[in-house]
Amino acid sequence: MSRDVPPAVTDLAACRPQMRGNAFRGGSAGGPLHAAVERGQSRLVFLAAMFSLAFLVIAGRLVDVTLMAQPAEPRAVQTPPRAVETQRADIVDRNGTLLATSLPTPSLYANPKIVPDAAEAARRLAPILVGSTEAELRERLSEDRSFVWVRRQLTPRQQHDVIRLGIPGLEFQRDERRIYPQGRLVAHVVGFSGIDQTGLQGVEKTLDGDIRGATAPVQLSIDLRVQHVLHEELRRTIKEFSAIGGAGLILDAHTSEVLALVSLPDYDANFPGTANPETLFNRVTLGVYEMGSVFKVLTAAMALDSGKVNMASGYDASRPIQVSRFSISDYKGKNRWLSLPEIIKYSSNIGAAKMALDIGIPAQRAFLDKLGFLKAPHLELPELGAPLVPNPWREINAMTIAFGHGISVTPLHVVAAEAAMVNGGIMRRPTLLKRDPAHNPGGVRVIKQRTSDDIRRLMRLVVTDGSGKKANVPGYLVGGKTGSAEKAAGRAYRRKALLSSFVGAFPMNDPQYVMLVMIDEPHGTEQSQGYATGGWVAAPVFGRVVERIAPILGVLPIDEESPQIRRDLIVQASAPGRSPNAPR
Amino acid sequence: MSMLERQPRATTPLLLDRIWQISWPLVLLLTAIAGIGFALLYSAAGGSFQPWAQKQMLRFALGLTGLILVALVDLRIWLRLAYVIYAVALVLLVAVEVRGEIGMGAQRWIDVGLLQLQPSEVMKIALVLALARYFHGLDLDDIGRPVLLIVPAALVLAPAALVLKQPDLGTALMLGACGGVMFFIAGVRMWKFAVVLAGLAAMVPVAWEFLRDYQKKRVLTFLNPEADPLGAGYHIIQSKIALGSGGLFGKGYLLGSQTHLNFLPEKQTDFIFTILAEEWGLVGGLVLLGLYMLVILYGILIALRSQNQFGRLLAMGVSSTLFLYAFINCGMVMGLLPVVGVPLALVSFGGTAMLTILFGMGLVMAVYVHRDMELNRQGEIGTD
Repeated sequence: MSRDVPPAVTDLAACRPQMRGNAFRGGSAGGPLHAAVERGQSRLVFLAAMFSLAFLVIAGRLVDVTLMAQPAEPRAVQTPPRAVETQRADIVDRNGTLLATSLPTPSLYANPKIVPDAAEAARRLAPILVGSTEAELRERLSEDRSFVWVRRQLTPRQQHDVIRLGIPGLEFQRDERRIYPQGRLVAHVVGFSGIDQTGLQGVEKTLDGDIRGATAPVQLSIDLRVQHVLHEELRRTIKEFSAIGGAGLILDAHTSEVLALVSLPDYDANFPGTANPETLFNRVTLGVYEMGSVFKVLTAAMALDSGKVNMASGYDASRPIQVSRFSISDYKGKNRWLSLPEIIKYSSNIGAAKMALDIGIPAQRAFLDKLGFLKAPHLELPELGAPLVPNPWREINAMTIAFGHGISVTPLHVVAAEAAMVNGGIMRRPTLLKRDPAHNPGGVRVIKQRTSDDIRRLMRLVVTDGSGKKANVPGYLVGGKTGSAEKAAGRAYRRKALLSSFVGAFPMNDPQYVMLVMIDEPHGTEQSQGYATGGWVAAPVFGRVVERIAPILGVLPIDEESPQIRRDLIVQASAPGRSPNAPR
Repeated sequence: MSMLERQPRATTPLLLDRIWQISWPLVLLLTAIAGIGFALLYSAAGGSFQPWAQKQMLRFALGLTGLILVALVDLRIWLRLAYVIYAVALVLLVAVEVRGEIGMGAQRWIDVGLLQLQPSEVMKIALVLALARYFHGLDLDDIGRPVLLIVPAALVLAPAALVLKQPDLGTALMLGACGGVMFFIAGVRMWKFAVVLAGLAAMVPVAWEFLRDYQKKRVLTFLNPEADPLGAGYHIIQSKIALGSGGLFGKGYLLGSQTHLNFLPEKQTDFIFTILAEEWGLVGGLVLLGLYMLVILYGILIALRSQNQFGRLLAMGVSSTLFLYAFINCGMVMGLLPVVGVPLALVSFGGTAMLTILFGMGLVMAVYVHRDMELNRQGEIGTD
């Protein structure tokens, strides 16, 4: 601004037209005002206008980001085109974030027949190939063969150093190394592949055919952000309650796509050698458990769908049921007649058992068969557990199955069925592959729309008035059912070893996502007043996860007090009516 | 409006008159903005006055007292002190360069016991003062002489260069922009701006080479935040998620999960707007923007109303600074501008920024109180 040559000032000033005496209070006292004032004046107004305009832009942008933008499905990350061909394709999550990739690396082999001096070669190689001793190398290089692997997957630096040694008989082979950038986060989903580029665990194994030799990445339905939240919250809870493990699963209620699948303890997929059977075990798909009270929702759905029972039906839960040497009683029982909503709300074993008997053994068996509970679940994972189903299926089995004992299924079974319970009644096969949103996922109807509507109300009731209060998140209308199953040990149950779970969905006026949280053998803490039940352990995790993932998934908070929502989810949960089928 | 009624007074008003003259609506507006800040800091701490809200309230009380005192001081005294204040700020900037506290990877703070002083914030007001003083002493013909623009250009460039070295790109840009506004108001001709802007545009590729890697990354991230969602793009994406989850009316006070669950580190400072938008929604955001706009327009009105060039420049400069704070911060949070470290004026947690802004607003108030005083080029009462 000062580079131009200063003109002859006095002359220029003289030539300039007189600008004094302007409109700005020109005539008033104070004398003639400066010409700068006039220019400054209009420039002030100009700036005021510009500032206002800038604020309007900001306000417009605010409208845009708060109201228009839906963060649900972020723009796919642009994966740069693969410069190098690898034997295995990348695996990415639903947003394109890398879950597994291959890195070309050289592997070193030798032809011992050509290597002139094995001892000398070993001595010089040992410092480069950290981890191999000189003796080992000497032995290998002296073998009477024409091909031995010296070291697989060298770093570029190591390769460079080996080349500089200039030892005849040492050759490189193009090799690949599989990298899992997310480490342990998706280990149970993605799994890992072996050194020979074959999948050994997880999706790497089941989709081996699609991954091997392909160039386009395989896109999973997992959302890494949601996976992270679930993983973190489960880990925190396992630590807090000194539990031995945990499992979590989040499904899209309408498409049954798996958004997150966590089984703890887990392992780092980059170092499968450090994994042990305990960490490799997938509790979500391979472990079969007596899931406990979460089954009562299914029993209620079965009963309501049969048409024999309605929301006003009641059952006598005043006394424990005695069947030969067994006794079925309620935890914190009310010892009176209970209506169907109350049976769910108070988690009455007696009520559920009587409800199942009302419907009958064949119908119960057929219903669970329809939900896929009698065979191994479907998912693109090699580790799928077959359920343990009673045979023969007697009256006592029917009664215990009604509240989730005497049948062992995987958590995946339960969540897949739960999706059908709340989405209007359509059961779909869960999948780990991202579905094309334009493509209709099909599915089979397992319950009526009306039954599904009732189930939504019952699940909401558990969270507003029942055992699942700690799962509530204002604005997201969480609903679900707690479960606290005693783990079987041989032929008896261990009262102190619980499987605490919460299965639910949100938002209950129009469920978008179904989730299961299961904590294995939690121990009560001071904060939980010594309790280790589903309501105290699993329900809070459920709530925290919902609170964190709902904004990520673009689920908007809802006014719970709005008349429409209240009308939609209202349940008459007090006065027990009388079931026409219930014995007097 | 009382502001536009003129009662010619060539002398300095009496102290009592001056107290009477203080514009309480402006004080109220500032308090409202700060109040929103307290509420948000209380929420950011998970519903607690510690560690932020209480401290912020004390600072505001201190700053507001300062504002009143500053407003009551004769404008001529501020005119005389202008260069001194600028010099002190400049010395502090050099001091921070020599032996400052390093926080968050940048050397920006000096510990002066009571608070961690951030001289770059002080400089924003000191620069306005110095430029107002300088241009007050020139008449339009002088302003036409490029030689006389060397001094003010140096006044802007010296602190901007020091701040850039800290490194703090945001403040450097703010100082530059603020200087530009002062030149503009002073009446520097448009073609000179065009020359400077063209020169700057030509320098962009060169300057790019001098930016730190993280600064380059921020600019690239701004252009495409989803390119690195877990790295450099993390903040802006999380911020947008928080804004988006607020909707029209927000999730309710203290209920913003995105901000409470540490998705946004340092949420109490530069990204505090996200808490507002998440918990109070679009409505809350617009209310705050409206309050800022009112204060800024108020400041410009005061500038228009001032009978002396110093006051006009001063009020306008401070208003522009406030505008830049609000505009850059909001624009950054909403992904309209790259992430640069500019706090949300009066709302973000931070002592120096709050105190300097209130000091600046005190100067604006002083201009208002002395609006009818006519000053000659030497800074004495009277006209040329």
